[in-house]
Amino acid sequence: MSTYWRTFKTAAWLGWQMDSNWTEPWLFVIYSIVKPVAGAFILIFMYVVIWSINGIPDPHSFAFLYIGNAFFIFVGSTLLGTFQVIQSDREWYQTIRYVYISPISYYVYILGRAFSKIVVSVFAVLITLAFGVFLLGSYGVQMQLSLDRLPLFFVSLALGLFVLLAIGITLGAATFLMARHSQTLAEAVPGVFYVFCGVLFPLTILPSWGQAIGEAIPLTYWFEITRRILLPFQLNTGLAGFDDLEILAFLLVSTVIFFGLSIGVFKLGEYLARRAGKIDMTTSY
Amino acid sequence: MTAAVARRSDLRFRIGLNLRSIVGRAYPRVIGANREPSWIFFEAVLPLLSIAAYVFIYRTIALNQVAANPVDAPRILANMNALVASVVLGGAMVAFWLNVLWSMASQLYWEKEIGNLQLYMMAPMNRMALLGGMAVGGMFMTSVRAVSTLVAGVVVFGVVFQVANPLMLLAVFFVTLVALYGLGMFFASLYLLWGREAWNLSALMEEPIFFSSGFYFPLGGLYQSGGWGSAVAVLGSIIPAGLGLDALRQLTLGETAFGGKFWVLSAPVELEILVVLAVGFLILARYALAYLETLAKREGKLTSRHQ
Amino acid sequence: MPYAVETRDLTRVFAGKKKHWWRKPKPNEEESRGPVTALDGVSLQIHEGELFGLLGPNGAGKTTLIKILATLLLPTSGMAFVAGNDVTKDPFPIRQRINMVSGGETSGYGLLTTRENIWMFSQFYGVPSKVSKARIDELMHAFGLWDKRDAKVRLISSGQRQKMNMIRGFVTEPDILFLDEPTLGLDVNAARTIREYVMNWVRGQSGKTVLLTTHYMAEADEMCDRIAIIDKGKILACDTPENLKRMIHTQTTFRLEVDPLQDTSTFQRMDGVVNFSLRDDASKNRTELTFILENEAPVAEILSAITAQGAKVHALRKTEPTLEDVFISMVGRGFE
Repeated sequence: MSTYWRTFKTAAWLGWQMDSNWTEPWLFVIYSIVKPVAGAFILIFMYVVIWSINGIPDPHSFAFLYIGNAFFIFVGSTLLGTFQVIQSDREWYQTIRYVYISPISYYVYILGRAFSKIVVSVFAVLITLAFGVFLLGSYGVQMQLSLDRLPLFFVSLALGLFVLLAIGITLGAATFLMARHSQTLAEAVPGVFYVFCGVLFPLTILPSWGQAIGEAIPLTYWFEITRRILLPFQLNTGLAGFDDLEILAFLLVSTVIFFGLSIGVFKLGEYLARRAGKIDMTTSY
Repeated sequence: MTAAVARRSDLRFRIGLNLRSIVGRAYPRVIGANREPSWIFFEAVLPLLSIAAYVFIYRTIALNQVAANPVDAPRILANMNALVASVVLGGAMVAFWLNVLWSMASQLYWEKEIGNLQLYMMAPMNRMALLGGMAVGGMFMTSVRAVSTLVAGVVVFGVVFQVANPLMLLAVFFVTLVALYGLGMFFASLYLLWGREAWNLSALMEEPIFFSSGFYFPLGGLYQSGGWGSAVAVLGSIIPAGLGLDALRQLTLGETAFGGKFWVLSAPVELEILVVLAVGFLILARYALAYLETLAKREGKLTSRHQ
Repeated sequence: MPYAVETRDLTRVFAGKKKHWWRKPKPNEEESRGPVTALDGVSLQIHEGELFGLLGPNGAGKTTLIKILATLLLPTSGMAFVAGNDVTKDPFPIRQRINMVSGGETSGYGLLTTRENIWMFSQFYGVPSKVSKARIDELMHAFGLWDKRDAKVRLISSGQRQKMNMIRGFVTEPDILFLDEPTLGLDVNAARTIREYVMNWVRGQSGKTVLLTTHYMAEADEMCDRIAIIDKGKILACDTPENLKRMIHTQTTFRLEVDPLQDTSTFQRMDGVVNFSLRDDASKNRTELTFILENEAPVAEILSAITAQGAKVHALRKTEPTLEDVFISMVGRGFE
């Protein structure tokens, strides 16, 4: 256990250094926050424009998308954090062979590297939410978090992050074998989640095949339960037939499944890469 | 020295040298697309995801507005088409902006890292020919990608465009590209002195520029918001994509779209400003590159610290 | 007649890390990032048609000198002329006449073939496409890279890549070619191909000059008409390989293989010891000592000093002077 913990800590430290050591920490934190906040502003002005053009407000839809977008910051950063490790260690820093042959769990090492990104994104999420609640109240952004719902919130948040890490590692294992495109994959997968997981709009607006895709992705349930806890109203998202505990159960089960899957796929990716001699290949140049 | 001294430096030779250099540098970009056909999936289809997300936001809210006021449905739905079309046009322009950021601005930094920059800087061609080659190759490739995104957007989301003045549309599009790539050339020079900061700066110019230049909503909305919103919009208009998109939207959706109240300026005036921006950025790029090349040579930064 | 390359009192100082208002220097950063003098008053003349070597250990200033001559770096003071043109004031005519190849280069684009990469670079020198392609084919045959002409650069080996870089250097038919450690890390055959081509290129036609930097003694000895030995930014000697070795012909070189020693300071104080160097051989747990002596007299004293420390002498031999011995005689240490 102590080896796992030491690996995790060292990898998290390394991840932080790689992300942030090009500048001072405070400048890095601002940098990490400006991007997601600007992303939120795009949505704000989209709402302002359609409201202004048609003269009809829709505060519930706006609050729905605002909260969903804020929590989506975790998705982008966690997935990027996991995808990037193999690619950057192999192609850019060319350290993968030395890390890989050391007597540690490479799986835990990736988790550690991703952890630093999650920590930074916590700040970005909190600032985006605070901005919404304090400055966009008149546009309809409202949040509530009663004490009795707090444990549910934290459990769902933890499960959400775990499932994200598991998805990230599952797909990241594919980058063991991919010569290129892993950066694009890191952008594409969050893009799929952005559209199909009810992040910005209820699933019901999607065609039926799109809804089916959304219902098969665990993150859909994470966004659903998070909004049920935080928003004082509910929109018809197509999941109204399930109560909170059922949604949480879906999330829990899918987290466990994805974790098992991530370990299996990771080992398979590793095995195939070793067999093909691709563990330490460099292709960028 | 001997007769070997007779190397040419006349104007005709220099023009030939620089034209060859442009073609030479554009070549890897153009050929790259043929070598990697997977770009069709990754770079033409994937951008549709973010476009789809924004389209569904407008649709969700517009349908709720129709439900709240059914009598006004035709007007609301017409506005929805215009907004969805704006998103599709913005999504196509995103391809150019990302190309400018990642394949122009950051390119010299990248070339430095892989060891090409010193070979370029040692060669006798004009440095603007090098940047010009990068721009021509990038523009060509990205145009193909942007058109694919546009066509896919039209087919998937059923957007209707009305083009009354195709010549003006082409002029705006072309001048916007020249101005955008001129800006990219200017950035490329500035980035020459930076290391990893350059990568981060490019990353920082994605969402904030998508916002301030109105990639996914009419920029006039931001101009008219008053206070800091207007200031941000004015700053965002320095990026040629902002005014370029505004003019393109006017020319493809009609001046009366959105009730005619969300345009920044008229399309001809925007075209004039874009011409000024294009010329200005190219001149800036020329001088910035000459100055920063000398500075980099003085400080020993033309080669990577990894080498 | 101007020299192909001439430097006068050339100095290059790299400034330390700049201070920025937003960042605090880390502890010891000031000391570790202080100004570094890479070249210190270097004056050299290289004649047209010469294959000139610059020999020195890592960090001696070889690459800095090449970068200045290749118009990539400005000198801090002093002057440098290439083909009679000042590198600071008049780089354009220089660039038309030079090219440079460095060892371990990773230049080029992975998705292009070897031929396409070389062709692309030739365009930056204004070589017409037809001429360029014909030259590339010829050079590919000469370097044994013909089989890989259509291979993408990301798929070829490092030796093949270095051959491609060499072809890139020759395809523009420069008058002056800078080769910075061109055989670094290559296998024996690839290195030999490159060395032979370079020697034939310079000697088989008039008006071609090569400035070669290397830290391989044998390579410099075999290839160069003249060699400058450089260390810590200063030129210590400049002559033909034979003359350089003759500088120490009155001296005697001994090599010893001994157990690791605790104290080597006594050797320097011995009469008759001009200089010495030591190199640890970790695999054998032994130390190799090279002594440059005025005569053979101090050998007995050296052996007793070694045995007095309880170390055993495993081998002792008298050798012919090499360029490394010249360097040791001047600096008091070897290249490694």
